[in-house]
Amino acid sequence: MNTRKIRCVLGMLASDKHSKGIRTLARIFRDHGLEVVYLGEHNTARQLASVAVSEDADFVGVSFSTGDYVRRVQELIDALRDVGGGEIAVVAGGLIHPEDVPTLEAMGVAGVFGPGSDKPQILEFIDRTFAPAPASEPNA
Amino acid sequence: MVTSQQNGHADEDLSEVSVKLSRTTTWSGTPTENFYRPDEPDPAYDEALGDPGTFPYTRGSFPQMYRSRMWTLRNIVGYGSPEDTADGIAQSLKAGSAAVDVVLDTVSTQGLDPDHPVLRPDVGLEGASVSSINDLERLLAHIDITKTDVAWHVTFNIYPMVVAYARKHGLSLSDVHGSHMPDYLRLNLDGGGQKFVSPEFGHRLAIDTLEFVARNTPKWSCGFPQAYNLRERGTTPVGEIALGMAIVRKTFTDLTERGVRIDEVAPRMAWVSTADIDLFEEVAKFRALRRIWARTMKEEFGATDPRSMRLRIACHTSGRSLVYQQPLNNLTRAAIETLAAILGGVQSVETCTFDEPIGIPTHEARELATRTQLILAHEVGAARTADPLGGSYYVEALTDRVEADALALLAKIEDHGLLRGIEDGSIESMMDDENLLREEEIQSGERIVIGVNAFQPSRENPPHRFKVDEASVDAHVERFIREKSARDPHRLEQALRAVFDSARGDRNTQDAMADAFLVGATVGEVSGVQRLACGMRYDPFGVVESPFDFH
Repeated sequence: MNTRKIRCVLGMLASDKHSKGIRTLARIFRDHGLEVVYLGEHNTARQLASVAVSEDADFVGVSFSTGDYVRRVQELIDALRDVGGGEIAVVAGGLIHPEDVPTLEAMGVAGVFGPGSDKPQILEFIDRTFAPAPASEPNA
Repeated sequence: MVTSQQNGHADEDLSEVSVKLSRTTTWSGTPTENFYRPDEPDPAYDEALGDPGTFPYTRGSFPQMYRSRMWTLRNIVGYGSPEDTADGIAQSLKAGSAAVDVVLDTVSTQGLDPDHPVLRPDVGLEGASVSSINDLERLLAHIDITKTDVAWHVTFNIYPMVVAYARKHGLSLSDVHGSHMPDYLRLNLDGGGQKFVSPEFGHRLAIDTLEFVARNTPKWSCGFPQAYNLRERGTTPVGEIALGMAIVRKTFTDLTERGVRIDEVAPRMAWVSTADIDLFEEVAKFRALRRIWARTMKEEFGATDPRSMRLRIACHTSGRSLVYQQPLNNLTRAAIETLAAILGGVQSVETCTFDEPIGIPTHEARELATRTQLILAHEVGAARTADPLGGSYYVEALTDRVEADALALLAKIEDHGLLRGIEDGSIESMMDDENLLREEEIQSGERIVIGVNAFQPSRENPPHRFKVDEASVDAHVERFIREKSARDPHRLEQALRAVFDSARGDRNTQDAMADAFLVGATVGEVSGVQRLACGMRYDPFGVVESPFDFH
């Protein structure tokens, strides 16, 4: 049986400091059984990406309250690729306008959770997308 | 957040205030009194409530409340370059605004510079970019700060920068008026984080600021504590009072140890509060808060000036109560919250725009927020009589309960130690508990939020968006870099060394900061040098190396 837990790195980028949502989510994720590395506010994309690689994270979760998230997400994706974490998924949440969701998805963001998202919806996505595949039975 | 009336200029400015009490009779013509009270003398009434304008000010800080001093309708301005915001201010004044509230962008408010390699996309996004005295001069191009009351929604740097501006323009500090919000401890609790300022040094900066204000700028006021942010981060009305009073008590205790008398500092304060969606609980909170403040100032700090005991409250309605789904419903929420503020007897109100959960407010949404207050002032009659809910069995019981619970939580916070509770994360953990409970209540349906977990819309149109002029901000950042390279490096280094020395020593930090801004230091440099003096990194992001080698 595979006992590996889903691992994530959560944090905010640059001067964005409205961390209430992502802190709440960190608790919800922990209660749901995820391993959460919470980096708080004021990170560079490279800092988040480096930690994600060193922690062998399944995904990086970033939350935004400012309107520059398209550029910030691109920075994060680029930084992940630069530090050898290109396969690590990015999940974005916060004040994201619906018009920008297709743009973010086209950039490769695995999940976008704007203001209308709720807890069951987010957890269902996390389980569906990141749950480790069951270990195959040898010689079954 | 502090009104011009509060600064002692009521008479000359009252005619310009954009909300007025236009009628004291009901619409059907029944005359009303300033306030209503028990018919018979009642010592219990005098002890717990008192008439409006009398100790312990439960029923309001002024005898006739809005009949003599209307609340000030506040609109926040701030976006893009300093010139963009100067234009916004000019429009606001032309439209009849009595005062100006300025918000700076997240870069400036966190003591960082717009040419920081990580931060360019954030510049000018949610406020004006003001990082040097040159920027301040551009923003104040149409304003005489000895005549117009500018309320700065800023904690870091703005006050010494205004002092520097006054010195540069030969203005007497005693004539400079305005206000800002020097509550650094809340910065550590609402997402500011210890990468920018440690709780210990932040507390020191708050004390330095209040001491300097008390001794040098008699017309300057302070929004303190900034309890609004604590509520938005995740506290109840009880938590707002308890945490806010813990910050006030710690700060005032340390100020009095420096020889600043309570009557020198308390009259300059306005509690920065919120009005959330629970109408009666918020009214009870404002009433309990005034009573706790009055008794604390008189009985514990020995205040003798009534202005120290009568709390003024600056209120902004609750952003976190607003939701994305069916955003027009937020107009109703904001209207009820504005009503709660008025029934609770606050001195100034900013009404949230309905589109806050969507992004930066549009001009239309700002106008609707203003109209909300005008409807309450002119049509609803909400300001007709002081403390209209006073004497309600329900509201009085709620007021007593909020007060008792707040005092119990305050004692708990102080027993643990306020600074210790900030440093060890236990206060933030308390806020996280509250947010999680709220979330769970919404998920379980115990807390109904229309459009979110009940009466959900079948489809919604994407909301309108506000866009900032990028070209203007680009030009501003390029100019900022040019101006930095044009400074006198010797004078700059000398001034910043004084900033470093004052931060490391025990001399008041504000004078050296003002001198540094006067010779062109930037907010990133002043804050960075202070961080170095405290053993922290010059750049919170660890990207920019300190250009200064101070020891």
